[in-house]
Amino acid sequence: MNLMRKLWAVPWLMLVCVGLLVLVGALALYSASEGSWSPWAERHIMRAAVGFLAIVIIASIPLRYLYSLSYLGLVGAIGLLVVLQVIGVGSGATRWIVIGGFNFQPSEPAKIAVVMALARYLSEIPNDRITHFISYIPAFIMLALPFTLVLIQPDLGTSLMLLIAGVSVIIAAGLPKRWIAGGIVITLASIPIIWSQLYDYQKARIFTFLNPGSDQQGAGYQIIQSKIALGSGGIFGKGFLMGSQSQLNYLPEKQTDFVFTMIGEEFGLVGNLSVLAIYFVILTGINLVALRTHHRFGRLVCVGISMVLFSYVFVNIAMVTGLLPVVGAPLPLISYGGTAMLSMFVAFGVVVNIAINARTERID
Amino acid sequence: MRNKRKEEKEKQIQSTRRLLLIGSGQLLLGAVLVGRLYQLQVAQTAQFQKLSDDNQFNARMIEAPRGRIFDYRGRLLAGNADVFEMNVVPAHVQDLRRLLGKVSQVIPLKKQEIERVISQAESQPNFLQIPIRTGLTQRELSQLSIRSAVLDGIQFDRRYRRIYPQGSLAAHLTGYVSPVTRKEVDQDRRLRRLPNLRTGKIGLEYANEQMLRGKFGVEQVEMNARGKPVRIVDDVLPESGEDLHLSVDMEVQNFVARRLQQGRAELVKTEDPDVQRALMKDKHLLAHLGNGENLILKDEKGRYIPPESGAAILMDVQTGDIRAMVSQPGYDPNLFTDRLSVKDWERLNAHPRNPLLNRVISGLYSPGSTFKMVVLAAALEAGIVSSSSKYFCSGFMEFGDRNFYCWNKDGHGSMDGRLALERSCDVYFYEVALKTGIDRIHNMAQRLGLGILSNLDIPGEKVGIMPNRAWKQAARGAPWTPGETAIAGIGQGFVLTTPLQLAVMTARLANGKEAVEPRILKTEGETPKFAPLDVSPSIIRELQRGMRSVTNGSLGTARRYDLPGIGMSGKTGTVQVKRITEAQREAGITDNIDRPWKERDHALFVGYAPVKNPKFAAAVVVEHGGSGSSMAAPIARDILDFALQREFI
Repeated sequence: MNLMRKLWAVPWLMLVCVGLLVLVGALALYSASEGSWSPWAERHIMRAAVGFLAIVIIASIPLRYLYSLSYLGLVGAIGLLVVLQVIGVGSGATRWIVIGGFNFQPSEPAKIAVVMALARYLSEIPNDRITHFISYIPAFIMLALPFTLVLIQPDLGTSLMLLIAGVSVIIAAGLPKRWIAGGIVITLASIPIIWSQLYDYQKARIFTFLNPGSDQQGAGYQIIQSKIALGSGGIFGKGFLMGSQSQLNYLPEKQTDFVFTMIGEEFGLVGNLSVLAIYFVILTGINLVALRTHHRFGRLVCVGISMVLFSYVFVNIAMVTGLLPVVGAPLPLISYGGTAMLSMFVAFGVVVNIAINARTERID
Repeated sequence: MRNKRKEEKEKQIQSTRRLLLIGSGQLLLGAVLVGRLYQLQVAQTAQFQKLSDDNQFNARMIEAPRGRIFDYRGRLLAGNADVFEMNVVPAHVQDLRRLLGKVSQVIPLKKQEIERVISQAESQPNFLQIPIRTGLTQRELSQLSIRSAVLDGIQFDRRYRRIYPQGSLAAHLTGYVSPVTRKEVDQDRRLRRLPNLRTGKIGLEYANEQMLRGKFGVEQVEMNARGKPVRIVDDVLPESGEDLHLSVDMEVQNFVARRLQQGRAELVKTEDPDVQRALMKDKHLLAHLGNGENLILKDEKGRYIPPESGAAILMDVQTGDIRAMVSQPGYDPNLFTDRLSVKDWERLNAHPRNPLLNRVISGLYSPGSTFKMVVLAAALEAGIVSSSSKYFCSGFMEFGDRNFYCWNKDGHGSMDGRLALERSCDVYFYEVALKTGIDRIHNMAQRLGLGILSNLDIPGEKVGIMPNRAWKQAARGAPWTPGETAIAGIGQGFVLTTPLQLAVMTARLANGKEAVEPRILKTEGETPKFAPLDVSPSIIRELQRGMRSVTNGSLGTARRYDLPGIGMSGKTGTVQVKRITEAQREAGITDNIDRPWKERDHALFVGYAPVKNPKFAAAVVVEHGGSGSSMAAPIARDILDFALQREFI
């Protein structure tokens, strides 16, 4: 009976949509390797299989364990980011640790860890102190540490996504409105300072973004080719494996950051909107779990995860359509890349766990 | 208490409000993305389609001229001829069938050519080039260019066509190139954009593919709306492949091939009406013709027979340089350059003797009596026999419940090692092999180069079988039996070698000091250094004495074929293909010429010359050639003679 009720509470539609995105990803990767399962598509599917297993395992752990492990998770994530500074590899920036032949990107699980640690801390603030700014200072520190470590990798895109997700959790926890307004003012005021701290290549990216035609062979090239590919796809696309931009290698990184462009070239607006619609269903699913959950920890975790997923999707698509500078963000569940994908699956496992335990009043 | 619950409730409402706020923020930003996609993919799609078209058609990959292959004296074995070809990019074309129809009015296209282009156009992205016709003549080209105004979408490109001016003579050396296969495209996707590229499939063309291929170039061409090149914007020039220079001398190669084909028969002209009539009657004989050869022989009984098949190698015993490497029958490698036609494919398949098999490296034969040097060396090294040890040959050896016969059923009498080699006495080697044991024989064989791969690096080389106890257990799951040792002692039974291995063995015996390795690429200047042979000089001396007696001993099996003046040493081998029953033996039906070709013995000879300071080693295998002494020995003598005379002119 208990089991039945738990199964009933699982957000099945969300999981089906996750599966659909994996399939879309596999097809896109098949096309990205010009009609071949290797090297990407087959491994993508294998990773997804591992991912679904991870969902099952994480969903069956008692929620209070996840709750009590969440600080440890943050400590671990910060530890990995520090280790990365010492032994990391990457082209131009240190983003990966090589473990037994696999490239591991510590910044991906860090997002989930930050969200869960923040949720735990914020859910423990007593009601009478929830309007005091002082209660939020530890939360900002918990966010600032990993944010800074990712920023100095340097990986501006990921660090900003981390910030967005973290701030969303804090806002959802009840940060008073005046502080929100104040934060916006401070952010705007600090833009010149941030600008002076940026690396040259980061500045160049932003310049190129503002004026793509200025650098046709460099960074601007990617965005121009991406827009050509998307635009020439039209409403219905050029057909599977028929995208000349992608197949003739005008499109860079088509298996990772620009996979959405390839889908757009081959399946057109219809294909792109379908992908967006599936993300919408998943995000709504997570948000609904948040709304139905009685305890604050669960609510905040769901908000954070929803924002992590959303920021990935938004930044990636805005980037390939030329709305944002090229900062390097994968499209979750579709782009080829193990760490990002498995981190997302872990996050879905946590969401499923919370959905099952939505009616619990207190966790600790 | 009430207050507290109310507070809790308010918190819940506030939290829900915040959640909804965040949710709507997501929705709003999502809508921005949808708007952006609409802008790009609907509002501005025409503009981007034009840009995409510009992209598609303006980068062309250019293949590099393939490296050429030359012989020892700079004769061309594989080169490139300029050809013009006609291609189409379907994306430029409104109605492909109509366009091909228009082309047909100028130069007639076959129905299947048109269908091939159309089906290819349907099965792949329309921006990839499809060849319509390669090898256009100057005349066709000028006729087409006059009408090019009405042939929009047709492109003419200059290309290099691989040619093999030596025809079948060097086929097994060079191998051939043919169109890129699906598998190759899977490994290197760039090849898809070079629909006319040819890659090496076998032989040196395959083994040295990367070196011969060179580096592709890229040409950025500005095209007008009708897909006609306007100007070249930017290009990366292709880099030609590197040439190969071989140690093989085509004149020697030619002589060896002709000599091997002729065997001991008489050459006749195929135009002879008599021969024509014979060919009409004999389908089997007819099937031998047409793979680049037109040779018919007349044997000693006046019958028309096909040329002999087999392998012959000539190599330098000091440097390992291969001067000739012949496998017969051959084939014309030019046939493969463009897709092999069905007719040619059928003809190659119908050929009774598998012309595509490179017998030198992939043909496996029992070495027969040419193996006896190995057995004697192993026995001498182990101290089983000395140069004066004698065995008595009565024509057969009784062993267990079975008789092992000598080829000479009258018996050779009392034999020592030298005489046993001279007369190729089987009984001596049965006895010696049994005492030496298979493992020692195996060890010596490998040191002499048998049963191991050479470092020639030509694909398809076989290792053969050099059996020992461990091999038998692993391969057959049964223990080794002494009877098998006796049979191995005369180079039959399990033992299988390639002609190349036999040549290497002979070169090492002639050299005596170094483990000579075969080499096919010409190297300037320095003599290569090989590992020491590690067989005692006294053993080498004993073997060389025996091999010398084969051609100049009173009863040597090749005594009629010595090289006058400089002398030749060697060893004959006659390998039973079909087992002779006791009854047949009694009836005396052992004469080869009366048996069907397939049942005749293989004829082998290995030898070197001059006897003092040897220069070349030769190995000759004539398939079903009858006997080593009458068929293979004279061939080996003649090719050694030819090569030596040529070398010292």
